[in-house]
Amino acid sequence: MAKILEGPAMKLFNKWGIPVPNYVVIMDANRLAQLGEANKWLRESKLVVKAHEAIGGRFKLGLVKLGLNLEQALEAAQEMIGREIGTSVIRQVIVAEMLDHDEEYYVSIAGNRDGAELLLSNKGGVDIEDNWETVKRLFIPLDENPTIERITEIAHEAGFSGEVAERVAKIASRLILCFDNEDAQSIEINPLVIRKSDMRFAALDAVMNVDWDARFRHADWDFKPVSEIGRSYTEAEQQIMDIDARIKGSVKLVEVPGGDIALLTAGGGASVFYSDAVVARGGTIANYAEYSGDPPDWAVEALTETICRLPNIKHIIVGGAIANFTDVKATFSGIINGFRESKSKGYLENVKIWVRRGGPNENQGLAAIKKLQEEGFDIHVYDRSMPMTDIVDLALNS
Amino acid sequence: MSILANKETRAVIIGGVAGLNAARRMAQFDFLINRPLTVQAFVYPPEEGQQKEIYRGGELNNVTVYSSLEQALEENPQINTALIYIGSSRAYQSAKEALDAKGIKLVSMITEGVPEKDAKRLRKYALETGKIFNGPSSIGILSAGECRLGVIGGEYKNLKLCNLYRAGSFGVITKSGGLSNEAMWLCAQNGNGVTTAVAIGGDSYPGTDFVTYLEMFEKDPETKAVVIVGEVGGTLEEEAADWLGAEVRRIKVIAAIGGTCQEVLPQGMKFGHAGAKEGKKGLGSARSKMNALRDAGAIVPDTFGGLSKAIKQVYQELLASGVIKPEPELDEKLLPALPPSVQEVMKQGEVIVEPLIRTTISDDRGEEPRYVGYAASELCEKGYGIEDVIGLLWNKKLPSKEESEIIKRIIMISADHGPAVSGAFGSIIAACAGIDLPQAVSAGMTMIGPRFGGAVTNAGKYFKYGVKEYPNDISGFLSWMKQNVGPVPGIGHRVKSLKNPDKRVKYLVDYVKNQTTLHTPCLDYALEVEKITTAKKDNLILNVDGTIGCILVDLDFPEYSLNGFFVLARTIGMIGHWIDQNNQNSRLIRLYDYLINYAVKEEREVPLKK
Repeated sequence: MAKILEGPAMKLFNKWGIPVPNYVVIMDANRLAQLGEANKWLRESKLVVKAHEAIGGRFKLGLVKLGLNLEQALEAAQEMIGREIGTSVIRQVIVAEMLDHDEEYYVSIAGNRDGAELLLSNKGGVDIEDNWETVKRLFIPLDENPTIERITEIAHEAGFSGEVAERVAKIASRLILCFDNEDAQSIEINPLVIRKSDMRFAALDAVMNVDWDARFRHADWDFKPVSEIGRSYTEAEQQIMDIDARIKGSVKLVEVPGGDIALLTAGGGASVFYSDAVVARGGTIANYAEYSGDPPDWAVEALTETICRLPNIKHIIVGGAIANFTDVKATFSGIINGFRESKSKGYLENVKIWVRRGGPNENQGLAAIKKLQEEGFDIHVYDRSMPMTDIVDLALNS
Repeated sequence: MSILANKETRAVIIGGVAGLNAARRMAQFDFLINRPLTVQAFVYPPEEGQQKEIYRGGELNNVTVYSSLEQALEENPQINTALIYIGSSRAYQSAKEALDAKGIKLVSMITEGVPEKDAKRLRKYALETGKIFNGPSSIGILSAGECRLGVIGGEYKNLKLCNLYRAGSFGVITKSGGLSNEAMWLCAQNGNGVTTAVAIGGDSYPGTDFVTYLEMFEKDPETKAVVIVGEVGGTLEEEAADWLGAEVRRIKVIAAIGGTCQEVLPQGMKFGHAGAKEGKKGLGSARSKMNALRDAGAIVPDTFGGLSKAIKQVYQELLASGVIKPEPELDEKLLPALPPSVQEVMKQGEVIVEPLIRTTISDDRGEEPRYVGYAASELCEKGYGIEDVIGLLWNKKLPSKEESEIIKRIIMISADHGPAVSGAFGSIIAACAGIDLPQAVSAGMTMIGPRFGGAVTNAGKYFKYGVKEYPNDISGFLSWMKQNVGPVPGIGHRVKSLKNPDKRVKYLVDYVKNQTTLHTPCLDYALEVEKITTAKKDNLILNVDGTIGCILVDLDFPEYSLNGFFVLARTIGMIGHWIDQNNQNSRLIRLYDYLINYAVKEEREVPLKK
């Protein structure tokens, strides 16, 4: 799953003939003045300026400014670029033509197990949630394209008529092409607007997710996926992602500020159950982390050090199921090195460490990590006979 | 009994090194339960025609790598299962081919990061062809006592600990691979073990789902209960609940669902599995899945930790109702132990192996090489040089400063002698023919012999002999040589003579005799010999080979090592010539015919063959 920003989404829409407003993405407000000299629409249209970052609730944060002229847009861009929102900094803004329009529609498409589903409504815009019953659906089986007649029929059911219905159906059919050919997972255009005087349509706002695993067959994907957690990635998360991209196996990290129980857990499945166990017992997690697929020890070491640096943690849960092929001895040697390094840098003060693990070379791995007790670590080590998530109970009861 | 994989299962693995590792793990299971090898062929075009070594216990099997599935199946028609271990960009094509193959009924894919569309197409295709496509991202399938597909079950020790050598009464279906192993362990600890465990993979659109396998388990009389481990995202667990609630089912269902923590975590939070993602408005949340399954009659503990108790409870009920009988305790000692490798047994001191070779000079087993015990870096650190390394590796002694200086000079003086001599010329011809450095240099090296550069050893050897046997009798020595050897090695030169002495010889003799304190009986002896031979003929001087040979004997190097100094020194020159020719991008050389005397027969007709 990979959410992409509006700019790259617009580019893909353009490629597939879905009408978009004129837009530019800038990193330096002064560039806008020069673009204004080159582009008539920037001088003559009303403009909208939006922070081009993965930040949720941009409107409330004042990161969307509407109905501006070029001068006002320049000001708005200057104001936004460089602003810090939580852990993220706004580096880019998108300046788009704010098309005067008569009506707002809703078009979306989302994949499912058997294909995809197209959703249409003539009551788009901010109130779509309230008008959800007006949405009409068309199931599109895998590798089949509905006829334009069929889409037009759905458009009629959704309350469109005449030429508008035909044009909406045409746009929807192109959206289906775009969805299918770009390995998209979902595309939501809200609103799709129309200016009836010249029958001009434009996708004013769009959210698009593409299948990042399919990037090997899309040479023109020049963008990177953005964070889906309502904020941009922290430096630590970014570092772990960079490592993840380079190694066999995987290491993953999401920080959850405010928690005091750090997770250093193995396996995509088990790690979730560890998070659950913490929450179920009334604890708060400081992060979600996972390593799996027998990653190299240095990658696990880097993950360990990152986790040891999380602020205000009281416990670290080094948990995992009985591994199939991840070598416990090798991955634990990375964890042990990470703990030693962190301790020498002054971290892990008053932090209790809880270990439960099984798998290839489990005896050697567990014996090695248990030895940290002799180096003054507050570490508690259990083997497969300890139920998997019970170390969380032990931690919270300690 | 079991589902999906059984004693009749024969598999082909499509993929490279990861597939080979899986095949080896699978063979361990084959050994444990004493069944024939499961993996019968590999398909991996880059390694076409190779044989892969697979040990089933102590028995070595060679399994062939084919370039196409078609070919593998043609030669191994018994194969009915394909395991996909190939990269995500080629996984679709491979799986599609496997689904197309007539004899193959089951395709299981471990590949991660397969595009969703590809997975959806494979699922659809499998449904259309009536086959099973398991995965992507599946750790595999294991039927206790019957068959292991993939690395599911982990290391050999774990196979025993989880009682996988014989069937139990529990089925296991998980999304996660690690948890399939954990669930098998729980079934062995709290119940009587598993019939079959299958991991469907944690992707958004797996090829099969809980219902696919619940239906199979329902039809498998040996399976009395099924443990499913699901997680947030998608609707597969809800569908399992619908299936369970739709009618009275023979099997009991126990379920653990991960992802309740989502309720307090940031929206859109991404977990380890691609599919573990809550939809809009709580669709696919862990809580809704748990509720649905509970409503349908499944036992659903609040946390994973509660699974042990639930399994134990179901097991006790099954025992009490007489549906299953208690499993007699099997003496673990009856199970075969994996044969250890030679290294392991040697570590235990239980076997003696006669070494194949012996070394007395160099040891690479530590963090860095040691030359006769000295660490290379420490030698560098303490100011030793290449002459000292030569002293250690050739003569197991650290030369003194004075000796090092002599060795250094010998190498410097012999490093090159222009392009015309056989060695350099050989390298140059090779370089001009486009031959790479090591081969071109060895072309020059092959020239070193009795007529070029190879006289050092024999010179040293015979002068040493003279010193010993004819100490004060040069003419006795010379007549012995004439009778037994021929011309004295180290004496004589093609161009140099008494009037036109070899500057190198002059310098070396002068340096050794006047600037060092080295005792030089051999060199002195050779100089005496020279006095006699030059009296006979002007050019029978002590040449550079002879000089070097004598000095090296006086330095106490073993006589058979002496040519090594010339070989080493001249290698520097030959490499230089090769680099030089390459820098100039020299063209191929061939001899002009005017440089050849064609002393051949005249043209004539070939007679008819008799």
